[in-house]
Amino acid sequence: MHDLPWLLKPADDFNNRCARLLNHAAPGAEVRLLANYALSINQSSRLYQTIQQFDPEKRAILSRNLIPFRLGIVSNATMDLMIPAMVTAALRNGIDLEVIAADFGQVAQEAFDPASKLNQSNLDAVLLALDYRAYSFFVNEPGDSGKNDPSLESFDYLQQIRQSFALNGNTICIVQTLAYPPYDLSGNLDAQLDGLLRKSLNAFNSVLAENVTKSVDVLFDVAALANAVGTHQWFDERQWYMSRVPMANRYIPLYADYLAKLLAAIRGKSKKCLVLDLDNTLWGGVIGDDGLEGIQIGQGHPVGESFLAIQQWAKSLKALGVVLAVCSKNDKAVALEVFQKHPGMLLQASDFAVFMANWEDKASNIRRIAEVLNIGMDAMVFVDDNPAEREIIRIMIPEISVPELPKDPSQFLRVLSAARYFEKIDFTADDAQRNAQYADNARRQAMLQRAPSLTDYLISLEMKIHFAAFNETGRKRIVQLINKTNQFNLTTRRYTEADVLGFEKSDRYLTLQIHLQDKFGDNGMISVVICKNAGDCWEIDTWLMSCRVIKRRVEDAVCDELVAIARSNGIKKIRGYYRPTEKNKLVKNHYQQLGFAMVSSDDSEDIWELETRHYQPKYPPITIQT
Amino acid sequence: MHQDKAAILDQLKFIFQDTFVDSNLAFSIDTSRDDVAEWDSLSHIRLLTAIEASFDVQFDLEEIVNMTTVATIVDLLYEKLN
Repeated sequence: MHDLPWLLKPADDFNNRCARLLNHAAPGAEVRLLANYALSINQSSRLYQTIQQFDPEKRAILSRNLIPFRLGIVSNATMDLMIPAMVTAALRNGIDLEVIAADFGQVAQEAFDPASKLNQSNLDAVLLALDYRAYSFFVNEPGDSGKNDPSLESFDYLQQIRQSFALNGNTICIVQTLAYPPYDLSGNLDAQLDGLLRKSLNAFNSVLAENVTKSVDVLFDVAALANAVGTHQWFDERQWYMSRVPMANRYIPLYADYLAKLLAAIRGKSKKCLVLDLDNTLWGGVIGDDGLEGIQIGQGHPVGESFLAIQQWAKSLKALGVVLAVCSKNDKAVALEVFQKHPGMLLQASDFAVFMANWEDKASNIRRIAEVLNIGMDAMVFVDDNPAEREIIRIMIPEISVPELPKDPSQFLRVLSAARYFEKIDFTADDAQRNAQYADNARRQAMLQRAPSLTDYLISLEMKIHFAAFNETGRKRIVQLINKTNQFNLTTRRYTEADVLGFEKSDRYLTLQIHLQDKFGDNGMISVVICKNAGDCWEIDTWLMSCRVIKRRVEDAVCDELVAIARSNGIKKIRGYYRPTEKNKLVKNHYQQLGFAMVSSDDSEDIWELETRHYQPKYPPITIQT
Repeated sequence: MHQDKAAILDQLKFIFQDTFVDSNLAFSIDTSRDDVAEWDSLSHIRLLTAIEASFDVQFDLEEIVNMTTVATIVDLLYEKLN
């Protein structure tokens, strides 16, 4: 697992391609391609050092289309070796990572001193890269339960660190569980006797996981990672004694990639859709050649059980909010017959939001799936056993993730799950309903083709909208929307849960969370507005909307409501901002369409204003629910 | 597996070029840690990992501390491989 088996191995000319980057005028795409390989720690270092040599202009070109992230690190170990791997892993996951590392061992000092380097750095998060050696787990005599529990004392220390960074640095913490080193004392008793390290670490990790879930902080489950690797491999005493490297450095690329995936998840950049091939991916054999009797799927057959495990994995992901789709070269009727008639199948055709089985090229089909679901290519994962198909898709659609697969289907699941495409930091009610929502979307699209006019269509949807200020119930979904919405997003400002809580509590901000229902079902929270009160004028800091409900005049309903609230508060003017990004051209004329007048415009920002007393309500065909 | 010192040196050269980015890297049997600016305590760990993976060997802690010249590394590898 240390060699990132879901990624392609770097080609032999990797070092030369790195060297050539320096002469490249616009190296963005090439850097992303190079970062996408399974880089060893030496190769990560080489790519990192090359990027460090870019002049500022070239560095800025690289940053386009990447999401910036400022990460502070404190540790009881040497983290310097990891920074190149972290930065390249972040590039691989769409993040432009800037690391601000504290000096070796400076954990408490950085946390408790408001003037410390990290507290002054305006960070997006601090990684508390602490292992068991950062805590005092050895204070008690074994078996002595009379004194304080070392796991609770250690946990209290960690709580103080977290609270201090929140208070002094206004930042969230990424908190690590603790891997158990391979040093047993009494074997099985180690998990039972008070004061022994295994019992203490088990208690610590379990209390920590429960606590973090309820907080704004984020868990990095390093204990699970070390267990997956095997702790005899994970820990390397030689490297620790030599240079205080916290784990065997061959696992640094893996640690860094998982960290980068967590950062991407914080920014809402996890994958949303799993696109699956059928023949030799969801079952063994080729249905068109082998027929229903000939394919292998289901219990009682070793190969069939391997594929059943993949189906179980996909089904569980669906329950966690991942949208499933099929993309296969097959006759649709023949492919569907497997789902209807084969007793060994776990997945049903209805589990898939989109089912593309035809003889067109797969790249076109995948583009069509993205269109129907209205999601970006960078939110999709395409799984296919055929190396040639994988290769074509990687070339035609560079943004999509296409995992390598081993030859043996019994090993598919290991590689697919090790890739951690669907990293999540929260599970919301919207996640639970997502598949139903996307299936509804596909039905709405079908209706759109039949309906006589757009207005008739919108009326027929029987939409009901609900407005509320930010509150605890909606908070996690608000953070999710703020961090993942790219297209309908006027300013693309990203905020943490702590920031959102700040808006919620402040009387200087008007906040709106907007829910939409229609006759096909509940769309959940689909739009968020944050206005800053500047005297008799409101400034719209954030206005975003989920792409699921674009072209349904929801923004008109929101504007009607916003102006109505503004008027009732005696607000004379509303000021809107459009800050262009690569992805939000869709809303360039948003304020114009709502009747705002342009005040100024330059490369970084258009400013628009509306006199509230001149506003003409739009009255879209949407009922307001109170 | 028998491997003579010349073959070990060749393979080691490739590992050095992979570990250190400098394209004008001086490398011979006489190279020592003082000759390579990038060879600090952290790249020493990277070098160690690369050598262990490439030759499928493991060094003792004391050997790692002492392997500060190419000649020492070649001798250690020769001993382990034969």
